[in-house]
This record gives sequence, C-alpha cells and structure tokens, in this order.
Amino acid sequence: MLHSDIKSRPTYTQLEPDLSGSQHLLIVEGDTVLPGRLDSLAGTFAPVEENLHTWLVGTQAGGLGLGKVWRLPEVADVVDAFACATRGYGIGDRLYVQGTEPFLWSVAKAAAIIGFSAEQIHLHHAGSLRRRVWCTHCHTVTENVTTSIASCAGCHRHLLVRDHFSRRLGAFMGVMVDAEAPGEVPAVEESFA
Amino acid sequence: MSIAFKPEETFRGDYSYRNSDAAVLRFPFPFPEDRYMYSVNIEPHVRSGPSDVFLRPFDVDEHYIAECRDKAITLERDPGRCQVLPHMMMAQWDTLELLMENLSADYPEQFSLIKEGDDFGSRWTWINRPLGIEQSFIFGNAETLPCEPFEYITRQAQGDFAICDQRDDNLFMDAGMVTSQADWSLEFDVGMSFMEWHGPVPLAHQTGVFERALKYLLMLRLGQPVRRLNWTMSINPRLDTSPESYPEWGPDRASVTPENAGQKVHLRVELQTLWRLPRSNAILFPIRCYLASLEDLARVPKWGARLHRVLSSLPPQLVEYKGLTRYLPAALEWLAQHDDGRELPVGTEAGVSTLAPR
Repeated sequence: MLHSDIKSRPTYTQLEPDLSGSQHLLIVEGDTVLPGRLDSLAGTFAPVEENLHTWLVGTQAGGLGLGKVWRLPEVADVVDAFACATRGYGIGDRLYVQGTEPFLWSVAKAAAIIGFSAEQIHLHHAGSLRRRVWCTHCHTVTENVTTSIASCAGCHRHLLVRDHFSRRLGAFMGVMVDAEAPGEVPAVEESFA
Repeated sequence: MSIAFKPEETFRGDYSYRNSDAAVLRFPFPFPEDRYMYSVNIEPHVRSGPSDVFLRPFDVDEHYIAECRDKAITLERDPGRCQVLPHMMMAQWDTLELLMENLSADYPEQFSLIKEGDDFGSRWTWINRPLGIEQSFIFGNAETLPCEPFEYITRQAQGDFAICDQRDDNLFMDAGMVTSQADWSLEFDVGMSFMEWHGPVPLAHQTGVFERALKYLLMLRLGQPVRRLNWTMSINPRLDTSPESYPEWGPDRASVTPENAGQKVHLRVELQTLWRLPRSNAILFPIRCYLASLEDLARVPKWGARLHRVLSSLPPQLVEYKGLTRYLPAALEWLAQHDDGRELPVGTEAGVSTLAPR
C-alpha cells in the first residue's frame, strides 16, 4: 500500500465491490498479481460475480471466479477498448483498477473520457512504485523511473523527480536538477523501486 | 488619466525594465510586520488601500505595453501557456466582458467599449489605443474574434489569469493564460483541484490555510471580488520564470554577489484577485505581477529595513520552496546596510512621498 503526504497524489485503497453498482468491471495489470492473489480477488468480488467482467492485462494467469474474463496484451489495448466501446456505460457501472500508478491513471483517464465519474472509479495501487515522469522543459514522458533523479527520454536533461502529481498526465513533475549550476548533479538514489 | 508608457523596455535579454519614482512609491509592498508566515490574508478588493495599485480593479501601469509584448513573445515560443478546457467557453466570455468593461470605465483615455446591446448576439467594438487595436465582434460568437475570447482579452492585459470551474464543492483550474508565473506549470496543473495545485506549498497545509481559503472562495459572490498579496523573488526583472524556461533563468541565481544584489535581486509581488463570473459561475483568478529591485525598495527607508528583517527570519522551508537558497546570503548582506535596527511602524505604507535621489 502506498502512503504519502504528497497532496496532489490520490490516496489508494484496497478494492472491494461497491454494492450500489449494477455492473462491475475489474481491470488488473497482470504483473502486479502475486501468486495466489487472483484467487483472493475472486473471493473479494464473489458477491457481485454474476455481474462482473474482468480484464486481465498482460498475463496468462487464470481468472476463475472473476466473472467473464477477457485478456488484453497491454494497457494501450484497454485504452483502445474504452475508446471504441459501443456498449454505453452508465451510472450503474463501477470500475475497479489494480496496478502500478501509470497503469491506474492511463485506465482512469480513458474511462473518464467515456463518462465514468470519479465516484464510479476505484483504484488500488499494487506492484512497483516506479514513477512516470513528465519533463517540464520538453514535455516528454519518461516511464518506469525508480530513481530520485532521472535522465529525460526526450531532452536528456537530468530531472529531479518532484513530489507533485498530475492525474491528467498520470505523472510526476520532473525539473532540471542542475539548471542553476550546470554539471552539479547530486547523487542519484534508488527511491521508487 | 494619462500614463507615460515605456514601450521599449524589456523583461529578458538586456533587461532594460526600470521603475520610475512614481512606480516605486506605488509598489504593493507585502510585509506589514518584520516577520512573514502564510495566512489566509484575503480581503475585499475595494478601490482603496495602502498602495495606488488598489485604486482600480485591474491596474494598468507604465509597463503595460512592454508587458503585453513580452507575453506575446512567450506565447510565440510556447503556445501551451494558454490552455482552456472545452467546457469553459461561457467563462471565456464572462472574462472578456469583465475586463473590457472595467478597463474602458477606469481608463477611458486608453480603452473604449461601444456596445449595441448587453448580451449574446449583440455587436461590440473594442478600442485599445496603447496597443493600436480596434475590433468589432459579436458578443458570444467566437468566430468573430481573431482567437478565442479568453486568449484575445488576456493578451491585452498585464499579469496572468486562471479560471476555476466550481463543482463538487471544489475549484478546478480549467483554463489559464500564464506567462509571468512564479515557477508553476499550467500544462502540468491544468484540470487540477484546489488542493492538488497547491500540493507543493510547504507548511501551509498543516495549518489548514487551504481548507479555510477554499471554503471562503466557494462562497464568493458576484460583484464582491476579493484580493490577497503573495510574493517571491526573482533574479533580473524577468516575467517568464516558468519551470518550462528554468534552464534559461536558473543560472542567474548563481550570479548574485553582495555587490550586484541591489540591482539583480527583485522582489516579485503578486496581486491576486478573485472574481465570481456571472454566467458560468466560475471564478476568475488574475495574478498581477509587480517587480522592484532591492535598490528600488531601499529608496523607501522603511521597506529596505523591513525586507531585511523578513528575509533574515524566513523559515528554512520557505527559503527552499521559493528558490532563494543560493542567493539569499548575498541579498541579506546588501540589505543589511539599510537596516539600522530601529522600530518600524506596522503596515505596508511607504511613509514617504518622495524618494531619495538614486
């Protein structure tokens, strides 16, 4: 579980079915499922299993007891599936997402576009703490950052990863660390593994 | 009222920006006491106050033309400094109306607005003499303007503007024209809620400042705008101190010495006002930036001494957050010569009506 005092970062909770919903969609990032965890998810969602759809992303793991299971190769396919959704999602729908932070916000953003409100979406952070970092200078996104200072995939500046999070970008802010004294880069620490 | 504009001055490159004596005397000095800490320092935005910048709701000063030109340069380089989410069109027109009405009423020599009707569908003509603009358009029809209404009018105004949409008992920053900001990114923050965009501010969350301020703002009423002052410091009179351009202006912070601090180090004061908008129920948040060098400020004896005391006693978290760490010692050394330790009256007024010669 991820706790922090970063005000712009949401608090993530354990998933549990929202019984006020009539249809339930669970989307799970495969590599965040520890051995045995899918079974425990099935237990958690047993009360709504009849109206449960589960999308397992990037895993061949079983999905017994998770309602109708659909497998997708990667998060981009989830975003596409939402974008092309012909079935209308409405106020009775509930969305549950489990995965790393970039995964959660890629899915949440795509869901918001097709009409899911914040109250309909439940996010559970699991797996690596690695961060997606948005470069303030060239606006390139660098994925899978585990260190306090990272090299920007776009402009190659050394970016200090600030504790400021944008849900719209699903990313932390990265700011050039040696702008005031070029070349003075502090020691890099492994911070978000 | 005529204004002696200084159209050639610059806020980058050779930094030829200077304040006249009158501009120094009307500077909105933000420190009534010798120590500073965050507070909910919001008050009604009435047409009076300790500085002349409060006399009109949207202050226009000698830097107007040069500031609008600097804004255009920044937008040319980075069009993302103006962002408006799609549901904000009504608030765009609200903003255009508010600015045009106030500017033309308060500065009739500089601006005129001729209306044939008050609401959507009527024909308006806007004349901006300092910038040489005359534009007829249909109020409510964006096609009749050269760009969207929010961008159109805020390009012709000093300072930054954000529009906060009000929903779910919260405020969301869903539009902005941000070219003279104190190191925050509109591109990153657009769409954020009140607590989210204030996330990085140290110390204030713990004391409940933001919760109280939000509660207050949700109740803001039409025709009863409010204001507060905020401040930081900048090296050189530079408007564009955005994180986007930090690689350009960051090195200046390492260039300050006790000898040059008086000229290089500037106090940057933001007059922040908040306005309920009539049709959209959004809140317009103009952030008007005033810059004065330490040398300018020290010509008012009370201000030179007070600034020395405020900066000497600033909590370390604020020094860090405001980015002062590298040059604060040099600035303090320069200011010390202007502080003889005498007791200073409470209040921000200059207390003098003329300045010592430079």
